[in-house]
Amino acid sequence: MQALPRVATVFSEVLGIPPETVSDETSPENTPQWDSLNAMNLVVALEGAFNVRLSTKEIVSMRTVGIVRKVLRAKGVTDV
Amino acid sequence: MFEPDGLAAATEESVAARAAQIKAAWRRYSEETAPSKAEPGLRIGIAASFTANSLIPFAGAPLAGAGFEPSIKLAPYNQVFQTCLDYKKSFDAKCDVIVLIYRLEDIALEEITAFLHGDAEARRRASAKIDIFVSALTGLRDSFAGAIMVNLPPFPATLPAHGLSLENPLGLGALHRSLVAEFLEKTGGIRGLRFFDLDAVQRECGRAASFDSRQWYLYRQPFTDAFLLEAGALLSRMITATRRAPKKCAVLDCDNTLWGGIIGEDGLGGIELGDEFPGTAYRDFQRLLLYWRQQGVLLAIASKNNEADVWEVFEKHSGMLLQRDHISAWQINWNPKSENIPKIAQALNIGIDSLVFIDDNPLEIDQMRFVHPGVHSILLPEDPADILSQIQRLADFDRFEVTAEDRQRADMMRAEQQRETLSRTLTKEDFRRSLGLRLDFFLAQAEDLDRITQLINKTNQFNLTTIRRTLDEVHQLMNSPSFRIFGLRVSDKFGDYGLTGVIIAGISPDQAEWTLDTLLLSCRVLGRGVETALLAALAREARAGGATQLNASFIPTAKNAPAASFLPDHGFQSLDDNRWRIALAQIPEICSSITLVRGVSRGRESDASPA
Repeated sequence: MQALPRVATVFSEVLGIPPETVSDETSPENTPQWDSLNAMNLVVALEGAFNVRLSTKEIVSMRTVGIVRKVLRAKGVTDV
Repeated sequence: MFEPDGLAAATEESVAARAAQIKAAWRRYSEETAPSKAEPGLRIGIAASFTANSLIPFAGAPLAGAGFEPSIKLAPYNQVFQTCLDYKKSFDAKCDVIVLIYRLEDIALEEITAFLHGDAEARRRASAKIDIFVSALTGLRDSFAGAIMVNLPPFPATLPAHGLSLENPLGLGALHRSLVAEFLEKTGGIRGLRFFDLDAVQRECGRAASFDSRQWYLYRQPFTDAFLLEAGALLSRMITATRRAPKKCAVLDCDNTLWGGIIGEDGLGGIELGDEFPGTAYRDFQRLLLYWRQQGVLLAIASKNNEADVWEVFEKHSGMLLQRDHISAWQINWNPKSENIPKIAQALNIGIDSLVFIDDNPLEIDQMRFVHPGVHSILLPEDPADILSQIQRLADFDRFEVTAEDRQRADMMRAEQQRETLSRTLTKEDFRRSLGLRLDFFLAQAEDLDRITQLINKTNQFNLTTIRRTLDEVHQLMNSPSFRIFGLRVSDKFGDYGLTGVIIAGISPDQAEWTLDTLLLSCRVLGRGVETALLAALAREARAGGATQLNASFIPTAKNAPAASFLPDHGFQSLDDNRWRIALAQIPEICSSITLVRGVSRGRESDASPA
C-alpha cells in the first residue's frame, strides 16, 4: 500500500475526516468541514508540519489540496 | 491530555502542541460526547466585535475537561450591542453565561484615530461610545439573570501609533489606560458583572505575540494561539468559579515545601529560608500562602517530622513569614499522610474534597491521589524558582468576591478550636448553655446577597434542596412578592460565626402556606441546636405572616446526608418520597439556651470582630 501524502494527514487531523478521503480535488466546496474557522486551523497546522511560513497571498490561493501541495513544493518542501 | 486546572501552562510544552491538543480535545467532545447528552449542562453565549470562533475550543476544552458539559454558541459577527439589547436573538433563552468581547479599535476606531491626530474633542466622543456600551450592558443585566462577563480591552493592535513610539506615554498608551479605567468605573454599578481581563492576558503574552496579523486581515480574527490559550484558560476559570465552590484548605508539607532542606537533618541554621535563593523562592511561596489565607483559605500542615522541630522553625527562624497562628490544623508525625489528612478535615469540620494537598515528594502525591482521589494533590515543581509562577495559576481557590466571612475564616477557626477544648470538659447540654449562643434571624437585604449567594453555591452538607443560584437570580427572588429570603447570623461567647444560614421560602398567594425552597446551614454551626432554633425562628415569622402550613422537600445528593433526617426529626409528615409537610402550630418555640433576636441585616462590612 502506498503511504498517504503528509498533506493528507494534516487535512485529516484538522478537518476530522478520514485521510484516504483527502485528494488533490478536496476543496471547501466539496468538504463542509473546510469552513473558514478550519481554514485558519489548516494554515497553523500546515506551517507547523512543514516548517514554512505562508504569506496571505499563498493562503488566499489555497482553494484545493492540490494547490496546497503546489504551494508547499514551491517553498522547497519535497515530501508533501 | 491537557491539565484542566491550567497548571500545564507553566510547563515547557510548546504553544503549538498545547493548542493542537486543545483543538483535538474540543473536537472529540463536540463530535462524540456532546451529541450523546440530551441537554448541555452549561450554556454559554459569546458575542464579539471580531471573529471569535477560534476562542471556542480554548474555553470549551478546559470546561469539558473539568467535567462540565458546555455548549458554546457564538452570536453573529460584531453583534455585541445587538446581543445586549436582545440576547434571545443570538442565544438560547436558557443561556447560563453571556460573554461579551470587544476591542477598542472595533468600537471607536474613528475617535481613537482622531485623538491621535490631535483632535482633543475626540476623547469625549470615545467616552460617549463607552456610555452607549455601558447602557447596553445595563439593559442586558435587567433582562438576563445568568452570569455576564465582559472583557477589558487589550492594547489596540492595528493603529498607526505603536506601543514603543516615543509619544506613547501621552498618546495611545495613555488613551488605552484611561479608556479601560473609564469603562471599569462606569460599569461599577452593574450588578454581578464579571471582568474578563484581556488586557492582562495580552500583558502575559506580550502585545506582539498576541496579534496575528494574517488571521486578522484574512478572517477578522486578531489573536494568536498563544493569546487564545491564555484567554480561554481564564474564561474557563471564570465560568468554573460561577459553578463550583472554591476549595477551603491548603494542606502543606514542610521540608522542601515551606523551606528548602530538611529540618530534622539540616537543623534550624541549615534550612534555606533567607534572603538568598533558594530561600527567597520559599519566602515568595509563603507570601502566596498568606495571600490565600487573607482570601479565606485555611492553611494546614501535614508533615513527616518531629512536631517540636517544625514549631521551632515557625517560632525561631527569622525567615519565616508564616506564623504558628496562621496554621488552622496540623498533623506532624510519622504516619502516612493519607491517614493524617482525614484528621485535618475533621478538625476543620470540612469535607475531605475541600482540601488541596501540596507536597514536593512524588511518592506522597501518588499515594494521596490513590487513597483520596477527592483531594486535589499537587506536586511542587522540582526547581524552587518555578514554585510561585506555577502554583499561583492554581484555580482551586478562585472566588469572585471575598466577603468579610472569608477574610475572618481563619480567625473564626481559632475560636472553634477554643470551643472544642471547652466541649471536651462539659456535658453536651452544659456546653451548649455555656456557649451563650445568639441567633440573629433577619430578612435579607441587598448587601447580604453576595454572602447568601456564596452559601447557596457552596453549602453541600446541611442543605435540603441544594438548589444553586446566581447572584442575579437571588436578587430577583428577593424582589419577588412570592418569596422571602432570610439570613441567619450566629455568634457565641468565643466570637461570631457570621452569616451562616439561609432560608428561601415561597409563599402561597393566600399567604397560608410557606414552602421551603432552600434551607441551608454552614457546617460550622451544626450540632449545637442551631438547626432546631432556625426552624423555630422561621415558624415564628411564618405564623406572624398568617401562615398555618409549612411545606418542605429533601432532595438527596451525594453529600447532603447530614440534612436527611432534619424534616422527620422535627415532626414533618412525609407526603411522598421527597415532599414533607407540617402544621406551623406544631413547631415548638426556641429552646432556652439560645437567644433569638430578630434584626435586620447589619451588612457585610460591619461584620463582627473576630474572636
